Amino acid sequence: MNMIIVLFALFLGGAVLTWLADKISGILRDGLFLLTMIGGATLFFLRIPTGSSVDITLAGLHLQWGLTPTAQVFSLVVMGLGVLAAIFAISYMKGKERLGYFYFNFLMSILGMTGILLSRDLVSFFIFWEIMTWSSYFIVIYSGKDVQSTGINYILFSAIGAYAMLTAIVMVWSQGHSLLINDMVRNFPFYPPSWKIWIPLLFLTGFGVKAALMPLHVWAPGAYTRSPMAFTSVFSGALSKMGIYGMIIVFVRMMDVVPQGAVIRDVFAWLGIITAILATIWAIAQDDARKLLAYSSIGQLGYIVTGVALGTPLALMSAFFLTIMHALFKGSLFMVVGAIERQTGTTYLNQVTGLIRKMPWTFLTALISIIALAGIPPVGGFIGKWMLYESMITGDRYILVIFTFFASTAAFMYCYKFLFGFFMGQEEKEWEHVKEAPAAMVVPPLLMALFAAVLGVFPGIILRPIDTAMQGMGFAGSGGHFWQMSTLFNDWGNTIAMKPLAIAVTVIFLLFAIFLTLKGLKETRYTSTKDISTSGEVPLEEENLTFSENFFQPFLRAVGPLMKYRIMVWYRQLGSSVEATADYLRRVYSGNGQTYAIYVILFVVVLLLFKDKLFG
Amino acid sequence: MVGSPVLFIAIPLLAAFLIPLLGFVWKESIRVLPGLVLIYLLALSVSLLGQVMHTGTIVEVIAGWKPPWGIDLVFSPFTGLLTTVMLTLGFIIWIYSYRFKNVEFEEAKKYFILFMMLITGSVGIVLTGDIFNQFVFIEITSISAYALTAFYKGRDSAEASFKYLMIGSLSSMFLLLAIILIYSQTGTLNMADIAVRAHDMKPSFKVMIVIFFLTGLGIEAEIFPLNGWAPDAYSQAPGPIGAAFAGITVKAGVYALIRIIFTLFDVQGTHEFLIVIGLTTLIIAELSAIRQVLLKRMLAYSSIGQMGLVLVAFGLGTREGVFAALFLMVNHAIIKSLLFLSGSYLVYNSTQKFISEASGMGKHLPITSFLFSLGAIAIVGMPPFAGFWSKWSVLSAASDAGMITVIVLILLVSIVEVVYYFRVINQIYFSRKESHIEPKRPTVNALIAMISLGLIILVIGFWPDTITGYLQAAADTLMDKGKYIHDVLSTGQLLIP
Repeated sequence: MNMIIVLFALFLGGAVLTWLADKISGILRDGLFLLTMIGGATLFFLRIPTGSSVDITLAGLHLQWGLTPTAQVFSLVVMGLGVLAAIFAISYMKGKERLGYFYFNFLMSILGMTGILLSRDLVSFFIFWEIMTWSSYFIVIYSGKDVQSTGINYILFSAIGAYAMLTAIVMVWSQGHSLLINDMVRNFPFYPPSWKIWIPLLFLTGFGVKAALMPLHVWAPGAYTRSPMAFTSVFSGALSKMGIYGMIIVFVRMMDVVPQGAVIRDVFAWLGIITAILATIWAIAQDDARKLLAYSSIGQLGYIVTGVALGTPLALMSAFFLTIMHALFKGSLFMVVGAIERQTGTTYLNQVTGLIRKMPWTFLTALISIIALAGIPPVGGFIGKWMLYESMITGDRYILVIFTFFASTAAFMYCYKFLFGFFMGQEEKEWEHVKEAPAAMVVPPLLMALFAAVLGVFPGIILRPIDTAMQGMGFAGSGGHFWQMSTLFNDWGNTIAMKPLAIAVTVIFLLFAIFLTLKGLKETRYTSTKDISTSGEVPLEEENLTFSENFFQPFLRAVGPLMKYRIMVWYRQLGSSVEATADYLRRVYSGNGQTYAIYVILFVVVLLLFKDKLFG
Repeated sequence: MVGSPVLFIAIPLLAAFLIPLLGFVWKESIRVLPGLVLIYLLALSVSLLGQVMHTGTIVEVIAGWKPPWGIDLVFSPFTGLLTTVMLTLGFIIWIYSYRFKNVEFEEAKKYFILFMMLITGSVGIVLTGDIFNQFVFIEITSISAYALTAFYKGRDSAEASFKYLMIGSLSSMFLLLAIILIYSQTGTLNMADIAVRAHDMKPSFKVMIVIFFLTGLGIEAEIFPLNGWAPDAYSQAPGPIGAAFAGITVKAGVYALIRIIFTLFDVQGTHEFLIVIGLTTLIIAELSAIRQVLLKRMLAYSSIGQMGLVLVAFGLGTREGVFAALFLMVNHAIIKSLLFLSGSYLVYNSTQKFISEASGMGKHLPITSFLFSLGAIAIVGMPPFAGFWSKWSVLSAASDAGMITVIVLILLVSIVEVVYYFRVINQIYFSRKESHIEPKRPTVNALIAMISLGLIILVIGFWPDTITGYLQAAADTLMDKGKYIHDVLSTGQLLIP
């Protein structure tokens, strides 16, 4: 039997069994869950080689599953993050209700993502896409909070996206009755002219929803916040990347044959950057670390979308690279928030302070991940950003560069806020009891953060598979060209220019570390926040004096006009007007029998009157 | 299994009359007998369906009067499929309502008699090859449906039943008018014969007849604006009867309409009309459902909407369209029945049947809530459940016919559908139970019925090929009008001069 089918059966069976085991014993359930996840990942990497495929016929449709090099890169994210998040989840979710339900949907969403990556035809793509959607939906509403707003928002936008995609799929189907993605790409140049624009746009709508591209992003902050952090790391790290995966198929393989392709590319590149800027500003304004990271995820995906939309080899490579980096650092950051939530009971940056001594390992993880997020060398995020800049500059898109630069600089602010808010500052009595999280909640994010750091030094590890993937899509192999042509990143040391910089960075870092250690040796006086008297006013007990309160107020005041316009308001108005219209229409059914009888008579009369027109 | 199509009508009708008599002897028999009848007929119809798939249509001649003079029953892959679906649902509904609300003997007796009549009528509508006979079966179905709507003897159910009766009698009137016109023009009542003679009929008469049929049968098939009775009837009738309406009666109505349009008269413009009226029905019904606060009423609107979609699919007029429509009918019968059956337990002890009164049932009635959610997810067409495949076939058929606008409209409406069904799921699982509501645990037989429907949904969802073969054969049969005429009329002498 083909291994791909075995893999699907394993995930499905494992998910169902995990759910059932919930009724029997907690240990059995956790064990089955881990076993399925790890077993699935192992099976995937060991027994499913690139290029293998299997054909099936279902309901008269020819479906094909197989692994392409592109999908392989994404599957690293899905499987790696899936396993680590699963280990994290066991510890994070301990003692919560409905764990069987949670684990079932966790595994189903992994199944959905794996399926998307393995699908080589549109119908199975859609099927797995929807499995991913409903399973993640059930996790979003798991907490039971805001289900009717956040949950419905998520499912509503997912449905809009999915049905846009389905429309495109049936349009493709009507042209030649083949559902294979390869056939679609091959026949695309021969489609009717208007379809050549509509089909990519419909697909991109579907993918844009999952990638939280503005203006289709409104579900994301709520959904990322409401799902348990163990899943949010997968949600933001892997699930949203499925949108990117789809966009790569559309942009790389279809767009170039359309005359208007360049315009669509530009539009999406700009959408990506606008998303990045606005989401960054919104992230800065957040006090809830979960929300902050959620907006940050939206922003980061904006860069990736821009990279994909630009579509030059370097831009695409940066999109791939950022995809993996974002999964690593955002996955680990969400886990960090999860660990803090678990240990302190809150995720608000203006409530928890001074965790650095209490949760040192978590802090280390957060530090490395934040450095990666901010794009500071030597951690990997920098390399991806740099490639993006370089691709924009070589493409003469200077305005884009400026905007991107603004967005990523502004991102420093929320990075700082996150790191400082949680870990620095006064050590309040309130948080004295806090201890380091258990190993299962520390090791997985730390591993990811370390890997992100390693990738910054040896980007070749991941650029090679990416290069293979790009060759699989018809780009010329770079033969190492891309990661050597830039003076700033290479295999450390091949080029002279990098050496002094590296040495300088290391020396400064070491000196700073020594300085800090020496300074820390001195006697320190601990004070509480309330131990102040400013301008003769003694602060009240309930006044929040944590320094992260009202952080960046001047900045936020400056960008205030930008934040006044929220697309959500428009959506809400649209939604309520649709519902009001529906409610008005509903009065057709007046509940009065006589009215209904009149309808019948009117129906006949109208038909008889217009019978020549209707049935001529 | 040996048996002939006439048993599908004779046995349940006989059972309906026997129930009160046997009730004198053994009280339990009134509950047992319908089940025995239904399981026998189900087995028979499955075996006959298997047979006709290979050997071709069975035409049963009643009392030796050969068509076109006598009444004939046609068991083709198409009618056989519908019969099987109806009987399956009938049997599952019987399991569900075996101990239905533990009502008294008298009540139960009425319930089962009427239920058997409903099955007789609906199956008869599908099987018969005679237009007047079909009218009689429509009347049998309708009258038992009126009575079942008013089963609870409350003010509301009486009102709903009366509205149904009122509109239903209009329906009968138009049907009768149409049949009279047919008879005056062709001098025959046999459907195949009418189909042959329709060519010679004056076009204006043909159009008149089709309009009367559209009205009369449109009422049964719940097309807008003739479906005013439906939300009331669905929400006031007992839960299993709601399921029977959605799964059995309406299907019979749609069948009759389709038979008229596809086989009897090929009037130009009827297919386009079906698409337009189907879309109107779909859109208005789904929009009416979104703000609905009563659970069963919401399900009723959803049901009407799905019927609209079925008509759209039929209206495409292609083989793929017919296949899609049949697939939708089967799926809708199964899924909507599951929703009605589980939904009526979710609001069992509430007085008003508000959706909000199902709040928090996820904790108290885990299995029922789970099955309801499964049904809800399936009916909005989320893969990998049954509803997805039918939605896919409708959309692909529409795209083959080049109707992108239709696809877009269907999908826009589907978004509305997603929203209101998921709202209910959220309500069931994540709201607090209202304190005055006492959850009612489903009985064992109700659980068996609901779980088997859930399993069917999963089976079709994961392996649609279990039924697509039958559906394709059925679609072929319906599209091949000449063969129908030949099959029926070759059993007797042709009346053509």
